[in-house]
Amino acid sequence: MARVEFRNIRKEFVDDNKGTFTAVAGSDFVINDKEFVVFVGPSGCGKTTSLRMIAGLERQTSGDIIIGDRVVNNLHPKDRDIAMVFQDYALYPHMTIRENLSFGLKNLKKPKAYIEQKVSQAASILGLESMIDRKPRELSGGQRQRVAVGRAIVRDPQVFLFDEPLSNLDAKLRVQMRVELSELHKRLEATIVYVTHDQVEAMTLGERIVVMNNGIIQQIASPTELYANPQNMFVAGFIGSPPMNFIDVQKEGNVLRMEGGTFTIPDSMAGALSKYDNRHLILGIRPEHITGEDLPGTTNLDYKYSTKVQVVEHLGSENLVYFRVGNRTVTAKVHPETTGYPGMDKTFIFNFDKVHFFDPETEQRIDW
Amino acid sequence: MKSRSKVIMLIVASVILMVWSVLTIIPMYWMLIGSVQDTKSAASFIPKMIPEVFSVAPYERFFGKTDVMRWLFNSLLISSILTVTNVFLASLAGYAFAKLKFPGNKAVFWILLSTMMIPAQVTLIPLYILMIDVFDLGNTYTAILLPGIVSVGNIFLMKQYMSSLPTSLIHAARIDACGEFGIFWKVILPMAKPGLAVLAIFTFVASWNDFFWPFLVTNSTEMRTIQVGLASFVYADTTDFGALMAGATVAALPMMILFFSLQRYFLQGITIGAVKG
Repeated sequence: MARVEFRNIRKEFVDDNKGTFTAVAGSDFVINDKEFVVFVGPSGCGKTTSLRMIAGLERQTSGDIIIGDRVVNNLHPKDRDIAMVFQDYALYPHMTIRENLSFGLKNLKKPKAYIEQKVSQAASILGLESMIDRKPRELSGGQRQRVAVGRAIVRDPQVFLFDEPLSNLDAKLRVQMRVELSELHKRLEATIVYVTHDQVEAMTLGERIVVMNNGIIQQIASPTELYANPQNMFVAGFIGSPPMNFIDVQKEGNVLRMEGGTFTIPDSMAGALSKYDNRHLILGIRPEHITGEDLPGTTNLDYKYSTKVQVVEHLGSENLVYFRVGNRTVTAKVHPETTGYPGMDKTFIFNFDKVHFFDPETEQRIDW
Repeated sequence: MKSRSKVIMLIVASVILMVWSVLTIIPMYWMLIGSVQDTKSAASFIPKMIPEVFSVAPYERFFGKTDVMRWLFNSLLISSILTVTNVFLASLAGYAFAKLKFPGNKAVFWILLSTMMIPAQVTLIPLYILMIDVFDLGNTYTAILLPGIVSVGNIFLMKQYMSSLPTSLIHAARIDACGEFGIFWKVILPMAKPGLAVLAIFTFVASWNDFFWPFLVTNSTEMRTIQVGLASFVYADTTDFGALMAGATVAALPMMILFFSLQRYFLQGITIGAVKG
């Protein structure tokens, strides 16, 4: 296995009608050996383009890509020692599963016995033995996905590349395949680069996550770090479901004033926020850090906010309660026993130890 | 009300289709009965739809011509070669235009496509001069074959078909260490089989039925194709309609067999390019 490095990678597409479009604007990062890294972001953020550049299916406009200790800029995909799993599986429809699995090794002119051994090994790992002589059209979506993974495994590549491999599966199968991929990573001890637009997939699979937007890397961190300490409003809003709430506040002395209430700034934050006196700030708080006042064990009543409940969603394990602060809708993820119905007057408690502040101009987080 | 208008539409459509079918079938039926009658009945201005006397004499006269088998062989050979070259070259070009990035891809394709607007009659004389005078290929198979080795129409058909094949398979094959020709040969061609079948059928039928070009570039009786050969039953002062009809029936037979056995592909061929353009 090997590390992957991006050195100031830039990718521009030139379209006859639309002009130049920058898909990746100067990426720098290192993916360590045996690491599972997930590229995540909305459509058009540059995540798939980055993956395709590693694969060699797309040539970068400038910068260097290093796999292992080789600069691979000018290498053909077959010479990069990578394997890729595609979103639509990309199984050869006219070949059996066995032929699909062995196709790459045959092209590499590997000995027949070696190919047979690798194919049966991959089939056994992925539970494909019983369907090895079937054609892809005779398989279910999950089975096809396994074959696509198997085709990557047989190659013993330095790096595995996954391009939204679970997005064509139904929700239940997606959860199952997520677990299988996680186990596979442990088993193969492989370097994996995985692209998804689904932040849940990113959080559950990735050892580190690269969050991208508009071709720019927003933050690279572990899932817990991303969740707890997002560097900017984009990351804060993208990671987590429901997403982080953003509330417009005005700092006046040691008070934060917002529509319908005021909060006293704790001493621990006062220093960091001192330069924002009489300025507009964005307060960010995750839904689970807003609780109902009536919940047993709630003690910190200093940061309470009374309002009318707009909507309540009962999810079984928790309730999502929606209310408005100014023109923004705020979500509270509360205990299922918390009472609430649309129109009800309710007081919510903000856990101020967990709040974030963002500069409204730069959208960067203000450390406190 | 709505269902009533639907019924009327259906009846009108059925009547039009039935009339159309009859108009299509009549010439073929005329050919068939003409081939089993005496020459006088076959040549009559208003033919008898049910022949009074059945006779195989026209067939005897047709096969009695010494070069008939040679003409059939020529037609088969030429149609087969043109089918193979068209399928191979049009699919290669279609694949390149549909899936490969190269400078001038769109420009070259549009230039090629624009040549379809030039009527064949315009290029006929220059082509004739090129084949006969410049290349000195008169009365050869090469002269018959060369202009038809691949047609722009077929390239267009294949480009449309190849565009509908998923590009991710090409990428997967590229990562699977497959060379560019290997991708075409091992991945694209097997997937393009329905499209290739349509192309093969159309090309075979068109070259089998081609009359004017083989007639123009050949002058000896043994180099004729069956369609050109049939013209030899038209004499200076008379026409042997019976033998002509028998020959036309024999010439149409392979096409009919081809059509009925591969009807599915014919219908598919009509819709290729209509779904994705």
